[in-house]
Amino acid sequence: MDPSGLNSAELEHFITQEKEKAMVNEMVAKLTSACWDKCITSTPGNKFSSSESSCLSNCAQRYMDMSLIIMKRFQSMH
Amino acid sequence: MDSFSGPSSGPSSQISKDDFMDQLKTQLAQAYAEEFLETVRGKCFDKCITKPGSSLSGSESSCISRCVDRYIEATGIISRALFSSHR
Repeated sequence: MDPSGLNSAELEHFITQEKEKAMVNEMVAKLTSACWDKCITSTPGNKFSSSESSCLSNCAQRYMDMSLIIMKRFQSMH
Repeated sequence: MDSFSGPSSGPSSQISKDDFMDQLKTQLAQAYAEEFLETVRGKCFDKCITKPGSSLSGSESSCISRCVDRYIEATGIISRALFSSHR
C-alpha cells in the first residue's frame, strides 16, 4: 500500500467508523441472543405474540438501564 | 476472521487505499453474516430439533423456517429498542 495512503486521515476515519459499527453489531448480536433466550420460551410461530415482542423490546431497554446502574456503582467505588 | 487477502502481490504492485477500504468492508460484512448464521443455527437447533431422528420431519423443517424468520425479526426489535427510544 502506498505509504502516505496508510497514514491518511481518511483511512483513520474509515477505521474508526468500522470499529464503531463492529461494536454496535456485537452489542445487538449479544443482546438479541440473550433476549431471545429469555423471551422466546416456546416453539417459534408464524409471528411473535404481543407479549413476546414487548418482552424483547423491554429486555433491550432494561439491559441498558442495568448497564447505567453498574457503571454508576462502579464509578462510586474509588 | 481470515487474514486480509488482497490482490496477489508482485514486487511492484500496490493496493490503493480505496481498494483496501472496499475489501475490508466486504470481508467485515462476510464475517458479520457468518457470525449471525452461526447464532441462528444454534438457536434453531435448540428450539426445533429436540429429539434428532433419522431424518428431518416436516414439522422440524417448518419450525426451522419460522425460527429463522423470527430470529431476524427479533434482531430488528432489539436494534430499534436500542437505537430509537431514548427516554
